[in-house]
Amino acid sequence: MNIAVCVKQVIDTEAPAKLDPTSWRLDRSVTSILNPYDEFAVEEALRIKEAQGGEVTVVCMGPETATDAVRKALAMGADKAVLVTDPTLAGSDAQATAYVLSEALKGLQWDLVLFGVRSTDGETGCVPAAVAELLGAPLLSALAKVEVQGSTLTVNRETELGYVRYECPTPAVLSVIKGINEPRYPSMMGIMGAKKKPLDTKDAAALSLDQGKVGLSSAKARVLSARSPEPRKAGTTLEDDGKGAQHIADFLATEKLI
Amino acid sequence: MTDKKGILVVAEPKDGKLANVTLESITQARTLAGAGGPVSVVVIDAATAPLVAAAGRYGADRVYVVESPEAAVFRPGPFIDAAVAAVQAADPAMVLCSGSPDGRDVASGCAARLGAGLLVDITGLEFRDGGFVATHPCFGGNIIVEKQATTSTAVATVRPNVFAREEAVREPEVVPLTVGFGASGLAAKVIEVVSENAGVISLEEASVIVAGGRGVGSAEDFALIQALASELGAAVAATRAVVDAGWMHHQSQVGQTGKTVSPKLYIAAGVSGAIQHRAGMQTSDCIVAINKDPEAPIFSFADFGIVGDLFVVLPALTEEIRRRKAAS
Repeated sequence: MNIAVCVKQVIDTEAPAKLDPTSWRLDRSVTSILNPYDEFAVEEALRIKEAQGGEVTVVCMGPETATDAVRKALAMGADKAVLVTDPTLAGSDAQATAYVLSEALKGLQWDLVLFGVRSTDGETGCVPAAVAELLGAPLLSALAKVEVQGSTLTVNRETELGYVRYECPTPAVLSVIKGINEPRYPSMMGIMGAKKKPLDTKDAAALSLDQGKVGLSSAKARVLSARSPEPRKAGTTLEDDGKGAQHIADFLATEKLI
Repeated sequence: MTDKKGILVVAEPKDGKLANVTLESITQARTLAGAGGPVSVVVIDAATAPLVAAAGRYGADRVYVVESPEAAVFRPGPFIDAAVAAVQAADPAMVLCSGSPDGRDVASGCAARLGAGLLVDITGLEFRDGGFVATHPCFGGNIIVEKQATTSTAVATVRPNVFAREEAVREPEVVPLTVGFGASGLAAKVIEVVSENAGVISLEEASVIVAGGRGVGSAEDFALIQALASELGAAVAATRAVVDAGWMHHQSQVGQTGKTVSPKLYIAAGVSGAIQHRAGMQTSDCIVAINKDPEAPIFSFADFGIVGDLFVVLPALTEEIRRRKAAS
């Protein structure tokens, strides 16, 4: 089974997010990492490949520096990668990203497309569904378990009450959640080997992308304003004098919360 | 700026009822109905009568009904097909979906098929200068943006527990829709629905949450968190450290790699208040912290804090609340 894993480079979850005051775009000059949720997708792809055979291809859209995130996925064990990078793609929103990824995926052989459930910076969780729509493939999102038998997928999607089990033929688009597996750390061998694995860099022209559908200028939603919220102020903090619970209960009663 | 009018709420069915976030979305649409135009709701389920009634009770002018056994359990394909059919029938300026995983699939699939602008995780909606403007807290609530779609119809997902929920009874016009479901969406078949946590309160929709952090110390001691939560009718949350240690299920994780919640009250015990956890809960209305470390960052943004031993304070608080409830 050939699997394409779509990954994103995100700003480090330790770094405070800043927006450029004119373009409202995210300042990406801080430390960047492979989106933590995508590690689960890469791991799941590797496990399926190890059981079934086939090839794992990493697909990423991002600036040239996103090579680091792509290399990490290769170091974990993916076979090859496609990085779509072009100055005209800067500022692409979730919908434009889905368009670019789906065009890149159309040029690859895959039975399964895997995503992390969302990115830790954009946080929309909307790219997988849009890619499925653009590819005309069935979507199953936010999965806690994926089993593959031949060309049939059996998956668990968690709900508040438990889970729903679905069966779906390939080709399909899936997104996976934290907890589906324990992502492996790249070994030293893996890290060294990743530098020699094929990484195909494509620009907008190579994918014949419609410039009216990508980048900041074509976004179908615009930012009117951005502000920092009023910082939360520290309220009252008391040492527990043996009546800590009563103090909390009194506070909750005053605030009409109990 | 557009000829399209009104709001269409794509209802999220939940055990034969409408999800709270759907009722909140209908209520918000009702408050904008003067300038924003009529309020439509589309209900999609195998049995829709109670959903239609609830939509009317909360103020729908018109309810589109897609009733099919194919929609008995959520599947992205048929739900997107049904939502798109309702958008085409209602021709609204704004489509509101739920901010749940289901709602995000529907919103994103719909927006992609319709070529509509997509506004994700909105916490405010206004009608201003002839168009809808949405508020969206991004990057863990550190930046608040106002966004507007450039397309004549916009699709949005609504964060649960942000808008009020109020009845505004109407006799809605009921419009059945016949939808031909696409083959690729139908290819995903439901084979089993497993309920193992009956009675669990949803974290995203809970108005009160009790959270435990590393300070709780073990899976067994989460019973203290559970006990206070059940006394308050609250949902239970955990920090990443707790989930990574295997004390709690990852579904209960709040924070940057977990869920984002906005309850009325968030009680955090043994939670230090690291930036990643804060990102998932700082839009709570009221935060109460219990931590033995007076330097814990959580005290810098909690509304009320007790520096003390959670193993003493939590059971005492559970007992105190039980006592006050009994006395009232």
